[in-house]
Order: sequence, then C-alpha cells, then structure tokens
Amino acid sequence: MKLLTHNLLSSHVRGVGPRGFPLRLQATEVRISPVEFNPDFVARMIPKVEWAALLEAADTLHLVEVPKEPIQGYEHDESFLRQMHHVLLEVDVLEGTLQCPESGRLFPISRGIPNMLLSDEETET
Amino acid sequence: MDHAAAQLEKQHVHDVYESTAPYFSDLQSKAWPRVRQFLQDQKPGSLIADIGCGTGKYLKVNSQVHTLGCDYCAPLVEIARRRGCEVMVCDNLNLPFRDQGFDAIISIGVIHHFSTKQRRIRAIKEMARVLVPGGQLMIYVWAMEQKNRHFEKQDVLVPWNKALCSQPLSESSQPGRKKQCGHPERSHPYHPPCSACRCPVCFKGRWDSRRSHSVDCDSALAGTCCANISKEGEEENGFYNTLGKSFRSWFSSRSLDESTLRKQIEKMRPLKNTESWANSTISTQPSRHSSFDLDHPEPFSTGEQNLDEEVFVETSQKHLEWLRAPATHKHLNGDHPRGVRRNGDGNFLGSTNTKENCMDAGNLEEGTPSASKIWRRISAADSKDSNPGDTISVEEQQSDILDSGAFMRYYHVFREGELYGLLKESVSELHILSSGNDHGNWCIIAEKKESCD
Repeated sequence: MKLLTHNLLSSHVRGVGPRGFPLRLQATEVRISPVEFNPDFVARMIPKVEWAALLEAADTLHLVEVPKEPIQGYEHDESFLRQMHHVLLEVDVLEGTLQCPESGRLFPISRGIPNMLLSDEETET
Repeated sequence: MDHAAAQLEKQHVHDVYESTAPYFSDLQSKAWPRVRQFLQDQKPGSLIADIGCGTGKYLKVNSQVHTLGCDYCAPLVEIARRRGCEVMVCDNLNLPFRDQGFDAIISIGVIHHFSTKQRRIRAIKEMARVLVPGGQLMIYVWAMEQKNRHFEKQDVLVPWNKALCSQPLSESSQPGRKKQCGHPERSHPYHPPCSACRCPVCFKGRWDSRRSHSVDCDSALAGTCCANISKEGEEENGFYNTLGKSFRSWFSSRSLDESTLRKQIEKMRPLKNTESWANSTISTQPSRHSSFDLDHPEPFSTGEQNLDEEVFVETSQKHLEWLRAPATHKHLNGDHPRGVRRNGDGNFLGSTNTKENCMDAGNLEEGTPSASKIWRRISAADSKDSNPGDTISVEEQQSDILDSGAFMRYYHVFREGELYGLLKESVSELHILSSGNDHGNWCIIAEKKESCD
C-alpha cells in the first residue's frame, strides 16, 4: 500500500463520518519499490494530497522529513518533487494495520493489500 | 430484504469469484477499448479508481495517472497485486474513501451484480461521493437485450464453465502472461474456445469437441452450441420438450419485478438448498456466448460474431463523438423482437434517430473506423433469440446446475434506458454526459455536478 493510497482512505464504520480520516497507520513490513520519476505527474498530485495525513503517515514510518506544507514554487523544485515522489509512490507498506481514529477498528494490510471490508453490523446504514 | 440481497450476492457473486479466481487468465479477459480510451483521456496526474477491478486489466492503461484498483474479491485483487498494481479489498456499497478524492472512476461490469435497485443506486452514489466535482464516472453493465442470447428475465443466474478456464495461474506462467497482456487485442492469434459453450455439455469438459464447437459457432447457427445440440429446428424443440417441467417453468416465467424478486429472495433463505432455484422465478441461464465479459476466463469472443460483420474495430479519434455526444443514444442494434420497453423517461436519449443511425451504419463498411461503426451491432435474425429451444437443455446437467459447484453468477441485466433512468431519477449529483451500447453492454459516462450539498 502506497502512502498516496493511504491518503485517500477513510473509515466507513457506522456513525464515524469524516472523523474516520485519516486512518492511523502501523507498519510491520515496509518495502521501497522504485518507481520511475515523473516530475509533472508528481507536481499534479501535490494539490490533491491531504497534507496533514501524509505528514502523520510519513512520520509513523520514520521517513525522511516531509515539509509541513508544499513549498512555494514546488512545481519546479526537482529536489522537493523527488522527495514527494519517493514518499507518495515508492514506500510500500506490505504488512501492517490501519486504524479508524474514531472507533478504533483495525483494518489489516497483508501482502501490500489493505482489506477494508466491514461486517454488516459495522457499516453505515 | 437487504440482508437477503446480501446473501444472494454472497453466494452467487462473491463466493463464485473467489472460487474461480485461480482460473482467471489475463489472456482471456478482454479490455474494452472504449474504457481504455476513457482512461487515456484523463489528464496526467489524475487520481482514478477502478471499482470492481478484478485482476486489474485497466489499472496500467495510462501511466500518466494513478489508478487504484478496488474489488470485493481478495483472490482477484491478489492477482492484480502480483502484476504490480496498487489495489485493495473493499465494498462498493461502502467505499472507504474520503469525499471527493478521485478525478475519475470506472465501474465495468459491477453494478449488474447487485440484486436490488436500492443497492445499485447506493453503489453509484458511493462512487459519486468520492468523485471530485467535474470528475467523470464510467459505468458498464450487461444488457438484457442481446443478439446471441436471450434473457427471459432481468434477474438471472449464469453458470460458469470451468472447462473454459485456463490452468490455475502459476508463478512460472506469470512472466509469459505479463508480456502478452500488454497488448491484449494484438496478442498472438488467440483462438478463443467457443464461448458459446458454456452449456452443460461443455461443462462436462468435452475438450476434444472444442474444435467442433468453434466450427458450429462459426457457422450460421447463432445461439446454438454444442455439436450434439447444434441444429436448429425440431431438434431443439425436441430438447425443450425433454426438459424437466421445473426447468421449463424457468423459461416461461415472466420478468421478475422488484417485489417478486424480494419474495423470492426471502424464500431462498437459507440458501444452502439450491434446489429451491428450480422453482424460482429467477431464471437460470445456460450461459452461452457472452458478449460481455469481465475477468471471465472466456475471451471477448469472435466465435459467434463471425456471423456479423466485424463490430470490434480499433478506436480512432472519431469514437470520441460518442463520448461527447450530449446524451445521444447511438444504439444501433435494430429491432428487438420483444419490443424493448423504455423505462420511465420518455425522452430517453432522444432515440428517434436510432433507425437512421442504423441506416447510416449500414453504409459504413469495413475499414472505416467511426463512432457509428463502433456502436454498431449487426442484428442477426433476432427472432432466433426468442426461441426458448435456443436455450440449451439443462436436463442432463440438472444436478450440475443445482449443484453449488456449478458456480452460478447472479446478474441483473439492464434494459435499454434503465441505467440512464436510474442515474437520472436517483443520483442527482451526477449529470449524464453520454450513454449507449457497447457490445451488449449499456454504458454511461456521467459527471459529478459542481455545486453539491
């Protein structure tokens, strides 16, 4: 699971609503998978990122420090873009959990795949 | 009702996909060009979700975008993952995403697996929720109106023929397959097994007769299948007559409306005893030529379609006409013998010019890629389809069909206009851009409206 994916995920346990974001990440196995760097691609991704959630996740994984917010003129800052490329796309959580911040419910990540299925009782009506 | 609906889907959608996942092959799943085009049209840097991605055939179509694959079926997702895709397991009815995260979403062959209208609406609304305003959603569902098969009812169970599957995927076979699936349409001359042969006879695994199946399929005997049952006319009627009474009742049942389906589903509980299907008004289809295929091991068949002119043409710029046409219905299928009913919206897609389009399509001969051509489904003598004898006898295979090992998949096949009507009436946050028919599927592209509550 890449951090870009984590950035989109939210808990849908019944009653939780927007407080289900972001999910708290715990990782027991992480792999770095090289991905071809495409600066334009990364630059376009930046505005879509929920930055606080990314910071939190990167911090949990003890990654290279991510700036508190996108720096000015980031579109042309190759070093920044490379860093974000790495954090968003190359860090792959293979084993771990995602936790709903509101309900505490844990979702497993196995073999790189998060499983977000809930039982009937747990889902929103 | 919802619990029963979930039970039905568990048994006849989720469990089937899970059990059959190991047999899926990249080679045999066709990527619809128009879907590929939709993906390629998305702006670089877009975030895209494929809800119901299966083994992930659309996930790598466009390297300039980030596509996340989601499916309910873990084994299928595992396959996609092994191909290097970013995927997850989740439920279309409860998408685990924050609002407005995705620039585009595709839902190819998914919504037809939901057994109630409410659930289908819910699935679409969920996708709309996670779309950014201005973002686009493409939906494909199986059409009830088919040229080469006949659906008695909208709610059907379709058997899945294991005999047509590839060998279970093994690690060693992966790399080879990977290479080939890079160009699914241009791969080595792949002669599909006769996809018509999802009949019970084939189910018995008559591999050696596969070739004769193809021959039969290539012949003018549309809608027929196995060599032994291949002739039209009295033999088929004879077959029909030999069907068990309970099975014959399937074929003569009326369409299942919502309340009847509900009652039926309630009756099904518990669903362990599948013999109850025999008296069900959900029809069990001997599944023949499937013009629609998701990750089904059967390929996009050209077997029976040899009857028709080549409808499957390479996309060109001109196909975009369809995508941009403001809700213009370019379904060029010609007459439906049963008279397709238009649901609800009487102005459905201003289809007054359908006939004209047919005529025009007729003038566009091979070699001219065009929007009309792409839409065109040459309608063979449709009356054939309505011959109940066409449906293959299940008598011999009665026990197979009723056996849970037959892997029956549930579908709600859509009538013309139904998907459109569904969005129009119940998903007001979406604005319909275009809709039409693509090889036996009703398709729609819709856009999330800008100002939402």
